[in-house]
Amino acid sequence: MALNMQWSIQNKDMISKYTSEIFEILRRGQFICSNSPDENIQRLYRILEDEDVFSDLHEYFNQINYVLEHGNEYFYFSRFEKNVDLDRKLNKAFGWIDILDFLKTFDSSFDVGFRFTPSEIVNQLKNNADLKTKLDNLKKIGADKRNYSDRIKKIIERLERDNFVALENEMSETYKVLTSFNYLKDLITTINIPEEIEDEIPE
Amino acid sequence: MDSFNDIKELILALKREENLISEMFGKRKSLDYKLSYALELVDYDEDRIDFLIQRSVIRENAGLLELDDQYLEFFEQVLDVNEEINLSYIDENIKNIGENIDYFLNENNENRKHNYLRFIKKTFRKIGITTLRSVVDLRRNIENTFKNEPNYKNKQLKLENLDEKRTLIKNLINQTLSLINEEQLTFFKTSLDEELNRIIIDLKHQLGECSHNLIEIEKQIIDYLNQIKHQGKFLEKLRKLKYLKDHFTIQAETDIKQILSQTHPVIFERRQGEPLNLSLDFLREKERAFEAIKRVANKHRNRKLFKPELADVISDEFLEDNIEEEIMINLEELRNHFLATSDNLFHFIANYDFLKEVDFSERVTIFCQVISLYDQELIIENDFQTTNGVEHAMVYPK
Repeated sequence: MALNMQWSIQNKDMISKYTSEIFEILRRGQFICSNSPDENIQRLYRILEDEDVFSDLHEYFNQINYVLEHGNEYFYFSRFEKNVDLDRKLNKAFGWIDILDFLKTFDSSFDVGFRFTPSEIVNQLKNNADLKTKLDNLKKIGADKRNYSDRIKKIIERLERDNFVALENEMSETYKVLTSFNYLKDLITTINIPEEIEDEIPE
Repeated sequence: MDSFNDIKELILALKREENLISEMFGKRKSLDYKLSYALELVDYDEDRIDFLIQRSVIRENAGLLELDDQYLEFFEQVLDVNEEINLSYIDENIKNIGENIDYFLNENNENRKHNYLRFIKKTFRKIGITTLRSVVDLRRNIENTFKNEPNYKNKQLKLENLDEKRTLIKNLINQTLSLINEEQLTFFKTSLDEELNRIIIDLKHQLGECSHNLIEIEKQIIDYLNQIKHQGKFLEKLRKLKYLKDHFTIQAETDIKQILSQTHPVIFERRQGEPLNLSLDFLREKERAFEAIKRVANKHRNRKLFKPELADVISDEFLEDNIEEEIMINLEELRNHFLATSDNLFHFIANYDFLKEVDFSERVTIFCQVISLYDQELIIENDFQTTNGVEHAMVYPK
């Protein structure tokens, strides 16, 4: 009994120690991913993984109107009430669909844990006309940039800002796809296309 | 075509050309091993290459060399690097054993019987090793295919084919076991050979291991195939959504609006700065705040202080009343005086007393001014006169 109490006190200490750190990250719309190259974030993930800590923090953040959510290998915040209009959400989702489509054209195995460098994508532009067309159609991102490599960088920056990829190795410019990518995939999977519409889409 | 006379000669030949053969074996995947590369490795002695070609160790084709399939296969098998899983061996071996057991049972001659038994033992041993090796190869191939095959459809097809191979191996194991346990009971009861028993025990052990491995492999393949299927499905879904989006029908045709309005993740929110004010107590009391203020102040050092520039006091002199007198020429009065005379205007002005010094050119200006101002009241004649070098019209009062 005494041991148990001691443990729960330790647990509480830990919560207060990391709560603000966790809050600061999640509040900005970022994710806490299990495979982040940032060791600090990995540590936070391990802390949140503990069921007791999770439920305590869930309770705690609830009181300030944030819902701590546990996805597939990642944590994020959502809210009870609507803070954003639907148009903004739609726009953002459309942007993601475009980028995802582009990246999957680059490499169909682009998924959690995948590593890539911007130059790999630029290289493939040379011999993949499909990829090039898709990049040309991504007008919204980096339209002011003239050359492809700058535009690719813009796209990656966008992904990095939304916290779906992270720079793993600065020297070789290697990026890694984070587990938060699962969020995008889940979003795509949940959208339902009625069968009769699905049949109308050409192969 | 010559062939080697005995094993010694073969091994000697291989030993002599070990550099060339190991190099060619290492590059067996790339299809263009040039004759010229090979010549470098045999000290430019073409005869040495011809010797190997004659004995079918290597083959030449349009300046390119390759190792003969027989040798290639042998090396790959022995070195455990083969990629093809050839199961016909095991199948054949099982048949051979069946046949030889029949011969053994029919034969009465002890010596020949012994030969058959030897062959059976050898084949059993071989079955064990080949099966185990096939299983290892299978596993490696499955992993390679899943990880390295870039073509999506081929990946799936290859994995499915490997899965078929897995079933084949499983069947062969079952066949071997049924051969030992059910079909040829008489043989195993009657042969009473200590070594055979040991081999069979080993074989059973190996086959057991293979079965366990195969079960694991089956799981792995199912997992891989599922992953591919899942990924394929996802790709298809993504493509369809992209299509609908590009045709501007995604909102109407799918439930995307509903899905997005169900949850409110913070990631959709605009990132806002927090205009929080600093605590005054903090600024006043904490050492850290003071440090920060000093640091910020440092940054602002370059900035010029804009002191409002104050003008000097206006001295009293400027405020005193000053009277300055100037004599102005009253053109009105000048006209009145002129109208009362009968003189011509130029002469009048030239001699007029203005109460101050007025030089000739100024008087000419005044002459022009008066004409332009009061031309209605003057008669300007078409008659000219020159005074002091200035030609002027004759002007009289009306």
